[in-house]
Amino acid sequence: MLVFARFAVRRAAMAVFTLLLVSLIVFTLMEMVPGDCAERYLAFKNTQGQSITVEDIEAERIRLGLDRPFIERWVTWLGNVFMHGDFGESCILRMQINNLLGDKFLISLGICLAALVFAYLIAIPVGILAATSKSPFLNNVLRFVSYLGLAMPNFLLALIIILISTVMFGDTLTGLFSKEFRDAPWSFDKFLDFLSRAWLPVIILGWSATAFALQTVRALMSDEIGKLYVTAAAARGISGRRLLWRYPARHALGPIFNSLGFDLNRIFNELPIVALIMTLTDSGALLIEALARSNDQQLAGAIIFLLTASIVALNFMTDVLLALVDPRVRKGMLA
Amino acid sequence: MTDITETPGGLESASERKRKEAYFTASQTQLIWARFRKNRSAMIAGAVLVVLVLMGIFAPFLSPYDPTIAGRNKDYENGAPQIPMFWDHNGFSARPFIYGVERTRSIETNFRWVTKINTEERLYLEFFVDGWEYSLIDFNFDMPGDSFDLQFKLFTSTTHLFGVRDGKIHIFGTDASGKDIFSRTLHAIYTSLAVGTIGVFIAFIMALVIGGVSGYYGGWIDSVLQMITDAVRTVPAIPLFMALAAFVPQEWSSETRFFFISIILGFIGWPTLARRVRTHLLSERNQEYVLAAQLCGAPANHVIRRHLLPSFTSYIIVDLVISFPYMVLSETALSFIGLGLKDPVNSLGVLLQNVSKADVLLNYQWYFIPAVFFIVLVLAFVFVGDGLRDAADPYADTRK
Repeated sequence: MLVFARFAVRRAAMAVFTLLLVSLIVFTLMEMVPGDCAERYLAFKNTQGQSITVEDIEAERIRLGLDRPFIERWVTWLGNVFMHGDFGESCILRMQINNLLGDKFLISLGICLAALVFAYLIAIPVGILAATSKSPFLNNVLRFVSYLGLAMPNFLLALIIILISTVMFGDTLTGLFSKEFRDAPWSFDKFLDFLSRAWLPVIILGWSATAFALQTVRALMSDEIGKLYVTAAAARGISGRRLLWRYPARHALGPIFNSLGFDLNRIFNELPIVALIMTLTDSGALLIEALARSNDQQLAGAIIFLLTASIVALNFMTDVLLALVDPRVRKGMLA
Repeated sequence: MTDITETPGGLESASERKRKEAYFTASQTQLIWARFRKNRSAMIAGAVLVVLVLMGIFAPFLSPYDPTIAGRNKDYENGAPQIPMFWDHNGFSARPFIYGVERTRSIETNFRWVTKINTEERLYLEFFVDGWEYSLIDFNFDMPGDSFDLQFKLFTSTTHLFGVRDGKIHIFGTDASGKDIFSRTLHAIYTSLAVGTIGVFIAFIMALVIGGVSGYYGGWIDSVLQMITDAVRTVPAIPLFMALAAFVPQEWSSETRFFFISIILGFIGWPTLARRVRTHLLSERNQEYVLAAQLCGAPANHVIRRHLLPSFTSYIIVDLVISFPYMVLSETALSFIGLGLKDPVNSLGVLLQNVSKADVLLNYQWYFIPAVFFIVLVLAFVFVGDGLRDAADPYADTRK
């Protein structure tokens, strides 16, 4: 138990360190973008018909604390984020970013996690089946499908599905809520409505993740099946599904479980594009809005930091869980 | 020696021996090629890929019209594909032909311009026709700052593979402004491949330096560099670079945008490649031949250049081919959401962006033709990359 605690603490420290590094990278990149928050806000005001002078920009800069050195601002920002979970104000909209993101971030995180679960619910059984089956036909079909998962990007799939549903059902299936629930507070009915519409983005987001996962499961599984301990178990008279699940699958699924974080990363990469096509009002679409229309670097930084933080958190959880079930990982890490 | 060649069995063993000799003296590249040739799907994909790349390189020659607004056909906007025919109600023709189109407007059409197909007028397909002027090699850098401008042209010509006289032929149809989709697709393949190539190149240089240092020296340098690489790898790349691409000034020229996007793609791709380079180096570093070279007093840079690099160049090339489709995909994704390349430039992402409009989905399905090319291109790359990876694995034969 002590070994495990030491392992968990060490992993947690590494996760925090990664987050610090990532926040520095994101903060620096947002800083390198030409023009700062004060200029941008006042330029925006200018387009609204107010005349703005250089002194106004200077005054605004001091009010926002932009005259202080870079490191100091980074530490303040970081302190607010870690201590209070407060991302500050948005550059253009002048609203608390936390209010702006609200449950939008949670909804998009939920959709992405659901897509991840969907991908592995299909990939694990089918991948194991493909690895054990000798049929060249089945294997070729699966190989082709998983290559197609890479070659046919999600946005193209989404477009085709929208096309078909428009022609066949007269409904575009876009959006996350029906009209009457869009601004309503959360209730059971709203949740049901959400579920009835969220399944399509989940499947589209999960599509290429499934294809990738299928490849990995199949490769790892066929590596493990040839090993001696499987032959030994078979010689002791265990066979069929019992043999597969108790011996090779347990070894093959370890690395897959460990790479969940990177799968989540891949889904996050596709989220903004799918969200744009399907007009989902989650943080992916908000991200595009924040970036493309108003050049809001505070909001963009907050979103990217949140996305990365959820990946780091997932990585940490899978590491610890894997160490709980697999003693080799625990010992290997500390050695 | 003589008694072996006398019998037929002996003859066989001589050729067998020759084959074995060729096998044992073959270079790494020859071995990989021999294994690759046995993989039928990879060979087919390779052929498709070569055809696509050639189509991209010779795009100006193969395409009948200028893909920019200069080459538009204003009489045939949103026109359906015209497929050359050999016969119709007027009889056969040895030379394929299409019908002429004309744009009319009268009281019958409510005074709107309407394109009418004239089935009595035949436009015959001709080869090696004269058209707009192009150069197969045409470098034109328009970077910010005048001193970086650079331009040179080679192989200027006006001959195109096919076309029709007194009219225009659009075998993939035209888009909303009357631009030929076939010409645009060919040029888009070229652009997407070029962006991908520059992106892969940048990613490769960064990966080689970072992965090389981390793999060769190992120890704490390796740990620190790996930590940084892992941190960079956790940041979702597309949202991050969307953030940066949004700050690209609107007034940038299409060439500048092109290079900016290529550089961004390079920065997206390096961590995965760096990790692979490091893994190769770490496993090779502990081999006996490296130790032997070091014991002979060879300096680090000699060991890396003369011993380590040649031992895994082929693997690095395989890695580059595998990472290529991801570059094309990222370019398409960025251009698709309008943050990458923009309309005067023809890239696959820009062409796919046109597909997303609702009336296109319902009325002008030929806009989807570039999407098919895109899927085939990425699939070909993936199959070739997979085939190469299997071929480059020296234990592939013994495992099966």
